[in-house]
Amino acid sequence: MTLRIDRRQFLMGSTALAVAAGISPAFAAEALRMIFWGSQARADRTYGVTDLYAKAGGPAVQGEFLAWGDYWPKLATQTAGGNAPDIIQMDYRYIVEYAKRNAIAPLDEFVGGALPLADFDKDQLDGGKVDGKLYGISLGANSVALMINTVDFEKAGLELPGQNTTYADLPAMAEAFASKGVGKKLIADGSGSEPMFENWLRQRGKALYTADGKLAWEVQDAVDWFKMWADLRAAGVCVSAEDQALDTGPLETTMLTLGKASVIPSNSNQLVAFQAINQDKITISNFPRIATDAPGGHYRKPSMFFSVGGSSAQKEEAAKLINFFVSNPDAAKVLGVERGIPCSVSVREALAPTLDAQSQVALNFVANLGSLLGVLPPSPPAKAGEIDSSLFRVISQEVGFGARSPEDAGNALFTGANDILSRAS
Amino acid sequence: MDRAVSTSWWSRAWQANAPGYLFLLPWFIGFFGLTIGPIITSFYLSFTNFDLLTAPEWVGADNYVRMFTNDPKFLASMRVTLFFVIFSVPLKLAFALGVALLLNRGMRGLPLYRALFYLPSLLGASVAIAILWRQLFAGDGLVNDFLAIFGIQGPSWISNPRYSLWTLIVLSIWQFGSPMIIFLAGLRQIPQDMYEAASLDGASKSRMFWKITLPLLTPVVFFNAIIQTIEAFKSFTPAFIISGGTGNPINSTLFYTLYLYQEAFEFFRMGYASALAWFLLLLVALFTAFSFLTSKYWVHYDD
Repeated sequence: MTLRIDRRQFLMGSTALAVAAGISPAFAAEALRMIFWGSQARADRTYGVTDLYAKAGGPAVQGEFLAWGDYWPKLATQTAGGNAPDIIQMDYRYIVEYAKRNAIAPLDEFVGGALPLADFDKDQLDGGKVDGKLYGISLGANSVALMINTVDFEKAGLELPGQNTTYADLPAMAEAFASKGVGKKLIADGSGSEPMFENWLRQRGKALYTADGKLAWEVQDAVDWFKMWADLRAAGVCVSAEDQALDTGPLETTMLTLGKASVIPSNSNQLVAFQAINQDKITISNFPRIATDAPGGHYRKPSMFFSVGGSSAQKEEAAKLINFFVSNPDAAKVLGVERGIPCSVSVREALAPTLDAQSQVALNFVANLGSLLGVLPPSPPAKAGEIDSSLFRVISQEVGFGARSPEDAGNALFTGANDILSRAS
Repeated sequence: MDRAVSTSWWSRAWQANAPGYLFLLPWFIGFFGLTIGPIITSFYLSFTNFDLLTAPEWVGADNYVRMFTNDPKFLASMRVTLFFVIFSVPLKLAFALGVALLLNRGMRGLPLYRALFYLPSLLGASVAIAILWRQLFAGDGLVNDFLAIFGIQGPSWISNPRYSLWTLIVLSIWQFGSPMIIFLAGLRQIPQDMYEAASLDGASKSRMFWKITLPLLTPVVFFNAIIQTIEAFKSFTPAFIISGGTGNPINSTLFYTLYLYQEAFEFFRMGYASALAWFLLLLVALFTAFSFLTSKYWVHYDD
């Protein structure tokens, strides 16, 4: 017996398939698609809110989450294929690029309607604007922060670092660590941490980038920076270059989680995530100051946004869901401060009493920065990410392993960064 | 009675083969849609600027020109990959041949050993092994625990730019299973009477190896060398996982393929990345052609 399919049957069959394939997106269109980066803990909270939303009669949400590094290739590929999700988690670093290419949609038409945003913090709202139009709704305010292992500081008999701690205080603290046998270095090697460099520059009255996307610091600044860390490294205050190179990005490979150092530079909202993977009690504090009267290096940053896909067929539905995330008190209780401090006043008030102690710490930290707080810097130029990942980190390692002097490194960073910026235009 | 006789050659061939082609259809779709199509597209894209979000913009040969005139990272990554190829391939082949010679002595339980030694090759390119390697060669990893028995304080092998590439070379050598199996098959082909004749003439074991085994094995060596070199040029996963996609420390594990990946999926320069991919293809093709041209001077075919 032989299998025979005549051509007419075959054509009919394949047409039926094609029709079915064409129809299926129409069925799926009922559900909103959402994509975000983050940990399992974030996904659990996010899906908790989408479940609430479905229970309240909203459309179902089909979510997808990835690690930061995998997120951007995936999103760019989906966008290029005209298949971008309806709701897209967006970062300060990429929002300009996506907005300028219409890959995300302006939301101004929904403000007051689907998105009331009545008591939304103005600075957080402004953070989501590109060329005067609103492209992203901030999911929480955060700030850079030191992640600190409190148990180690107890062992060393030291007070926790605070608003009066300067870089100059670090060596004495490291000595206490050594004499009390804590068995770790005081701090991770921050010389390759762009946020830490930025914070330090701002305390000097400078910035990373100007509003028109040029470098806002000079060679000497970078030389001083690398020199300071070279001295800290030589004195054993921070970890060795060899240990620091183990840190490849995820929280699991940071010096704090690996138990190589008690203090690392990070972000305030990540306290929740760090506590989840560390046995010892973790807390947060501000970055060290260059002098106790230095201007504020910190700023309240929109930790991340929700944006609406530029090609989404359900922009209004998407805006409604975003509104549920940022303004519904029950949603806020599920989300906690894992994405940062909520930006709506009433939500903050409803949330505060329900938070656990650790989340209170994060909430109070951002609220009590006081004189350490400076203005929000302009969003970085499109190629800032490349300067950070392919230049800054490599040069800091070269200094760490002795392949470059701090002077040489300062020059290399300045010219290299300018090369990348000029190539972009 | 038989209608098929009266129909044309074409329709008879079609009737006979249609089910076959139908069963091949998934493969055809995959081959044209997922292999040939993207290859042609990437060749076109290599002459454009393309950031995935906006339409590709034709720039002629600019990408290729930039590669050789204004890209230190291209040269750095090429150096890493060539170093890896030059050291990992001969060492791996030598190791595979060594183990194959041991296994070829007709020991008991040969199939078991063969399977055991082949196992790393099955696992080797996987993410799990790359993570395992990270653990083994970290500062407080198993390798240093072992060295500590002899009072040696080892460095953190994977995060020190002096040793990090070597840990990847060792990982590659450890996956010697597939060339080993092929060597083993090659060794079985060598006629036993040659060794008998040689031993009657009083030849030593090492002389037999250099004068009989190796020359007769050269076609297999040649085959393994080509396959392993292409594999080494293409190597990506271990460096990607062990360095977290960064090529750290100080770009010491920035394989050419990893740099290509960064350009494409981290910095969204699809055009430039396509050009890099085509240059790699050209390089591997040239290398293979060169190997074939020189092979007549050192590969002895038994005919």
